[in-house]
Amino acid sequence: MSSQFMRSKLINVCRLDNNTLVVHGVLDDSIYSLELDFKVELAGLGCFDVEGRWLRWTTPECPRSLEFIRLVEGLKLTDPVSERVHKTLGRRSCRHYANLFLEMVYAVRETVRMLELDLPGAALSEPEPPAEADEAGDEPEKVSSTVASPERTASRGFSQKPAGGFIVDLHLHTAPASPCASDSVAEMIVVAKKRGLDGICLTDHNYLWSEKEVQKLRERHDFLILRGNEVVTDQGDMLVFGFHEEIRGVVRLRDLKEQVAARGGFIIAAHPFRGFLTFAADDIGLTVESASRREMFKWVDGVEVLNGRVTENENRLAREVAAALHLPATGGSDAHQVSEVGRCATLFPAPFHDETGLVAALRSGDYRPLSLSGD
Amino acid sequence: MPRNIPLFTFNRCTSVEVVGDNELRSVCRLRDSVTDAEIAVNVRLPDLEIIGISGYFHHDRLQPPADLDAHLRRVVGVRVGSGMLKIIAGLLGEDENCRQLVYMVEECCHGVILNLTRKVLLQAPDDEAGSFAFFSGLVKKSTRLYDRCAAYAAGSPLVREFEAEKQERESSS
Ligand SMILES: [Zn+2]
Repeated sequence: MSSQFMRSKLINVCRLDNNTLVVHGVLDDSIYSLELDFKVELAGLGCFDVEGRWLRWTTPECPRSLEFIRLVEGLKLTDPVSERVHKTLGRRSCRHYANLFLEMVYAVRETVRMLELDLPGAALSEPEPPAEADEAGDEPEKVSSTVASPERTASRGFSQKPAGGFIVDLHLHTAPASPCASDSVAEMIVVAKKRGLDGICLTDHNYLWSEKEVQKLRERHDFLILRGNEVVTDQGDMLVFGFHEEIRGVVRLRDLKEQVAARGGFIIAAHPFRGFLTFAADDIGLTVESASRREMFKWVDGVEVLNGRVTENENRLAREVAAALHLPATGGSDAHQVSEVGRCATLFPAPFHDETGLVAALRSGDYRPLSLSGD
Repeated sequence: MPRNIPLFTFNRCTSVEVVGDNELRSVCRLRDSVTDAEIAVNVRLPDLEIIGISGYFHHDRLQPPADLDAHLRRVVGVRVGSGMLKIIAGLLGEDENCRQLVYMVEECCHGVILNLTRKVLLQAPDDEAGSFAFFSGLVKKSTRLYDRCAAYAAGSPLVREFEAEKQERESSS
């Protein structure tokens, strides 16, 4: 039994004086080696004097991350900080510094609790383990994508669409319903119309639009707006249509399938091969054959093979798996902001006007993914 | 208390090893002034599915679920990869008693990813030009790296080619 990878993190918290803690952390693993130091004033658990040091790194530009190491100065460790640290330190500096910093925050909080230090005016939030370290590259925002395009309306940009057919973007997020989206539903609709789509489906994460709300939007914009839902399951994200039950937390796909089927709904596996930062499916020997054996494909009615936010290879694998399993293939932008609306969509042969029509069209299997992306 | 004697010490070690033909075992151990815990996750290749998990968790204040192994087994079948964090947290619960546990499961999964990342990085040439070409090629292959850290930030030398190609694609269309 030989170990291939090891990551050690060592942290200690000392007292500098009556008002100040000093925290020292080391992250040393089979790739990186780095250190962080900072101080914490005990009165409000504010963090200051942040310093970082690289001992081993990978790209020739990694040392640039130290220019941004002080972005976490001033953070109050009494508040939840994890998201902010990932957005600032993790994104602008380096996610390994963010990872170590959050472990150090955890250590500070445990120290404060252990010593029952009096924190005037500040209730310490629960020790917050450094969640959301994003080694999987799993963050929808700002994914710059090169979209594969089996049906590319090439070189004509967004406003062009093929003659005939009915184009619907089946996968779209709006703010504030999806916390990760940045533009409102009204803005998304205006752009969808401008780009020549015939309709859009609102698939906010575990969020249910009411029929009334959607009807109002339809009338106001004179545009086809349908309800869907993007549900987090144990097998990944699923686009669900024709099913309007509220879903909380993470559900088993098998259970979801049972419920959706009972209501005559339709489930599409969203971006089934959305992958990693530094390696791709083929690097780990994932083939069409092995990928097709995934449990999820037993339970879905269709596969999203053209997603606007994943890489060309990831879309290609989805396309090949859907073909191998004879599952219908759809496209959707997965837009989180207006610039992404309609980048990918699904082309149906004939129009429909409501959710019943959409589900019937999806069941027919007669449609194809479409890239309207200008790039 | 003297200044140079720590109030609190923390040691987390995560290791990934090969077990059997198509299986990795990732173990996260945490030892700090108030915690003694270990979580082991077995993952099948190449689909990176969690096929086994077990562990223990002792903490001065926090109480883990009574039947910890049964609780942990909720994540069996989940795949290591995109979206895993919200799935794992959702299945194991975000109760205060579970947070560190959830983190340790995630840390095991990150270990698996870092192990695979290391294999990619082992192909990087040693010389300056070769290394530069390798890492600027990486962002072209994995576009997700773009603007995700200082090294691959917009305007960094490493993304110059990537940005030029992107612009060319956009203007030619
Ligand atoms: Zn989505």
